[in-house]
Amino acid sequence: MSTDEDTTTEPVDLAEGIDHQVAMVMDLNKCIGCQTCTVACKSLWTEGGGRDYMYWNNVETKPGKGYPRDWEDSGGGWKSSEHNERNPGEIPSQEDYGDAWEFNHEEIMYNGSDQPLRPDSDPEWGPNWDEDRGAGEYPNSYYFYLPRICNHCTHPSCVEACPRKAIYKREEDGIVLIDQERCRGYRYCVEGCPYKKVYYNATQKTSEKCIFCYPRIEGEGPDGETFAPACAEDCPPQLRLVGFLDDEEGPIHKLVNEYEVALPLHPEYQTQPNVYYIPPFAPPQHSEDGESVDVERIPRNYLEELFGERVHDALDTIEKERDKVNRGGESELLDMLTDTNPARKYRLEVFDDD
Amino acid sequence: MSERSGKKTAATAATVIVCLVLLAASVGPAMVSARPANQIPVESVSADAQPQDPTSEAWDTVPAVGVPMASAPSSVPNASDTSVESLRVQSARTEERLYLRLSWADGTADRNVSGPRRFADALAVQVPVNTSARPPISMGSDRNLVNVWYWSADGTTEELLAGGPGTTTTFEESAVETETTYDDGRWTVVMSRELESSAENRTSFAVENNVDVAFAVWNGSEMERSGRKSVSEWYHFPFGPGPQGPPYESILWTIAGLAIVGVALVTVKAVQKN
Repeated sequence: MSTDEDTTTEPVDLAEGIDHQVAMVMDLNKCIGCQTCTVACKSLWTEGGGRDYMYWNNVETKPGKGYPRDWEDSGGGWKSSEHNERNPGEIPSQEDYGDAWEFNHEEIMYNGSDQPLRPDSDPEWGPNWDEDRGAGEYPNSYYFYLPRICNHCTHPSCVEACPRKAIYKREEDGIVLIDQERCRGYRYCVEGCPYKKVYYNATQKTSEKCIFCYPRIEGEGPDGETFAPACAEDCPPQLRLVGFLDDEEGPIHKLVNEYEVALPLHPEYQTQPNVYYIPPFAPPQHSEDGESVDVERIPRNYLEELFGERVHDALDTIEKERDKVNRGGESELLDMLTDTNPARKYRLEVFDDD
Repeated sequence: MSERSGKKTAATAATVIVCLVLLAASVGPAMVSARPANQIPVESVSADAQPQDPTSEAWDTVPAVGVPMASAPSSVPNASDTSVESLRVQSARTEERLYLRLSWADGTADRNVSGPRRFADALAVQVPVNTSARPPISMGSDRNLVNVWYWSADGTTEELLAGGPGTTTTFEESAVETETTYDDGRWTVVMSRELESSAENRTSFAVENNVDVAFAVWNGSEMERSGRKSVSEWYHFPFGPGPQGPPYESILWTIAGLAIVGVALVTVKAVQKN
């Protein structure tokens, strides 16, 4: 880690044959679990046509079983950092994803029924089912929200899993896409992704996934303007930074490679994600009589389970920089984490002249 | 015994022997070996007999071949874990079309693919584009393409072109027609296509040589799909010369017949001398 401008850093590790790599940093300290990102994504990409059960972007409560249920135990990824042998994975069941529920809106809104508003079915699980449950005991229970999209990994095991090479990492920006013409719905990518971020569309008979809103970042909208992915732009607390990992002037590169405070989720899956998280802080634990005590509320070993052992250094670094600011000092790191300028948070045109 | 009656007896014996030889040469191959190895005989039937119907009586007289099936070599996970071990194959032709009736045991008819873990039962028939050469069995190669007739129990039939594993592309319009039944734990599928084809990369059966054919079956409830499948070796349709299979067989029987005649004549001579 260094804050010196003249310090040379290692060249950014990009996947073979990739010109640049899109990346996202999500600051978990800002997530309020409002699901606006989830809805932004859903209304843009996954309404109808066999996509009802899919959430390319979801927000889950941690600790918790997540979406799909127990995805962290579903296998996939690589056996080692050599990336020569994959871990077998399993396709989640429909029950583990949860169905798209039908509600009695019609009866209540138009037919004057005094029934409570509820699903027509009798569901026992669904996305966000264990919202805010978390872990720990009163008064020291804890939880935080974890927004998840496809990680557009540097070593995507989903790509390796496809016997038809229908899923690929595109050259210009490393976005992982499924060629809908080539895909035959075998679902080896679904089981091969350790984050379970590829979904089978039983109507189209192909698999589908987050496309990092590539038409938006390519400026394919009505006015030809470039936009960050909808999940980022629509986020009320603006917790996401979007850009390129190899844009050395941008905040993502600094947070990931210089300060090393933005960490991939489950690095032990060895796919090298390009979505990074600022790990969460929580108020300290309370004593029985309500006094703050000097014990971290979110157990470090749990955070280590999610973000690997580098989480300790990351949390320590942020803590140090906070103290510095509290003493009246300056911190480039905290400036980046509290920046509200969209032009600096979304740097998607830096390589347009390449 | 007078000389005349002796001659007469010898002539009669010779006639009987020659008749026996001819009979042996014509019936022998059919009796001793039902057909050459890995052959799918193609019986002529009338189109009026509705051979496209899997339950048609037209199939009652068409000989069936029991084709052993084994896991295909493939790099996909659990490729060696397949469930279908044999396929019953019949083939017939009308003036216009070639029909294949394929039947195998599968305890569950997996037609529904509505969930992420659901896969449909499926069947494929593979024939080379260039029927004069035998392509690699694993879906051909880029130098010798194959046609794949693919039926899935979700109701789709596709005609595919492939040049190696993972390379299938669909023909814009499938010329293959399929009718199926599922009864008493068995799928029966009749696939048919016109014998002739002038379309690019579409196999023609209007040829004077044997045509290779191979089969694959997927059991959906075992999550079989892609390279995880039961496959056959190469078989062939006997479209080549000679109605009884390869010409060497008739030659061998003729030589055997001549040998019998020789031995018989020598024996008759010896008897006469005594």
